[in-house]
Amino acid sequence: MTLNLCVLTPNRIVWDSEVKEIILSTNSGQIGVLPNHAPIATAVDIGILKIRLNNQWLTMALMGGFARIGNNEITILVNDAEKNSDIDPQEAQQTLEIAEANLRKAEGKRQTIEANLALRRARTRVEALNMI
Amino acid sequence: MACSNLTTMWVSSNPSLSDSSSLSFRSVLNPLPLPNHNSSPSRSSFVAPIQSSLRELRDRIDSVKNTQKITEAMKLVAAAKVRRAQEAVVNGRPFSETLVEVLYNINEQLQTDDIDVPLTKIRPVKKVALVVVTGDRGLCGGFNNFIIKKAEARIKELQGLGLDYTVISVGKKGNSYFLRRPYIPVDKYLEAGTLPTAKEAQAVADDVFSLFISEEVDKVELLYTKFVSLVRSEPVIHTLLPLSPKGEICDINGNCVDAAEDEFFRLTTKEGKLTVERETFRTATADFSPILQFEQDPVQILDALLPLYLNSQILRALQESLASELAARMSAMSSASDNASDLKKSLSMVYNRKRQAKITGEILEIVAGANAQA
Repeated sequence: MTLNLCVLTPNRIVWDSEVKEIILSTNSGQIGVLPNHAPIATAVDIGILKIRLNNQWLTMALMGGFARIGNNEITILVNDAEKNSDIDPQEAQQTLEIAEANLRKAEGKRQTIEANLALRRARTRVEALNMI
Repeated sequence: MACSNLTTMWVSSNPSLSDSSSLSFRSVLNPLPLPNHNSSPSRSSFVAPIQSSLRELRDRIDSVKNTQKITEAMKLVAAAKVRRAQEAVVNGRPFSETLVEVLYNINEQLQTDDIDVPLTKIRPVKKVALVVVTGDRGLCGGFNNFIIKKAEARIKELQGLGLDYTVISVGKKGNSYFLRRPYIPVDKYLEAGTLPTAKEAQAVADDVFSLFISEEVDKVELLYTKFVSLVRSEPVIHTLLPLSPKGEICDINGNCVDAAEDEFFRLTTKEGKLTVERETFRTATADFSPILQFEQDPVQILDALLPLYLNSQILRALQESLASELAARMSAMSSASDNASDLKKSLSMVYNRKRQAKITGEILEIVAGANAQA
């Protein structure tokens, strides 16, 4: 009775294998999914996805999307997903600083919306590195 | 006998032009082609007009040969890149298939509800944003020109309708075009790079999203080149925003293409020649398990889904544009190579004729000299 997880981005399939448990960040908080979870559909926020394989946790930064949990089949559609092993710490930190600077410089509703999105993404990437 | 004397005299007189013997020699021989073994360059100063034209021809033939090698190489590189672009499209398929399936199912379940998602809001149009996708490099035939012309035509149309407009330019060629024309308001200059990924699509999507949500523009149109076949590509205009909740993407004329019907192109070989096969793919919209519960309310779910759809549409447009650019480059470089080989052939013919004429002249010269001495 294992969970089959599929993480899809427009570029490629990031993950397509079995896992024991996942913890997903949604718009209404974090949810944990174990085998035989009730089928639900949820929006995924810009945040961290934690995957457990045999007592080992793996983190992935997700850039917002949608998740469908069916009969032991989880499909996550996101704009972009990066495994924490694929993120360069220096570069992530720099991107975060640039995003913060951009937010401070932002004028007007539009630039603020964009800057906020960029900041949340950069922050998620840095968090993915710091967790577990 | 006499001929060898002539040649030795010729050799000895070569270094010094001021030598009287050589001068007299030269005055006699100038109007006629000089004895010349394989047009060696050191003798060129003596018969400047005729010999350097032979050498000029030879240089031209060499440069045409080199040019042909370059254009041939560029064609092969473009062909290899088309394959990579094709693979990128194939890799993005699972995402768009699943997305469309989910969108359909959610719409079915929300038939009765009033959906009020900001991205689908239809407002009276006052300002339009045009996203123009061009290439980064030249040498691709009329590719960049076509799309820019289409953009200009659309801008004139909008001006005629009295609507305001702004441009988001993607690609170096478009960027330089619009930079040189400050009378066209450009919102942002972006570059797609060699292979458009979700990151670049995200940058465009962010810009477009914020423009639409902040109500600065009321309609967003996407101008890109649709890949029809290896020799034909068509610039098209698609309305990107406002989205229809069913996920239909509408053409400028109002022809709506159902999102579930997707066209994919495949680069294959038929009878040894590269061809393109288009296959229309209809996503199987299977029945969803009816017990599916929504964690958040449907509006929030659609709010999360539609930006994903927007992103994937923009990415598809970028990928198709890249494929059309590569195909245009392939055909441009292929015709350049053909032209180069034709040119080489005709130049070689002229060169050979000239060379043979010279040799004939030499022989006549030698025979005449021998007769004169005898």
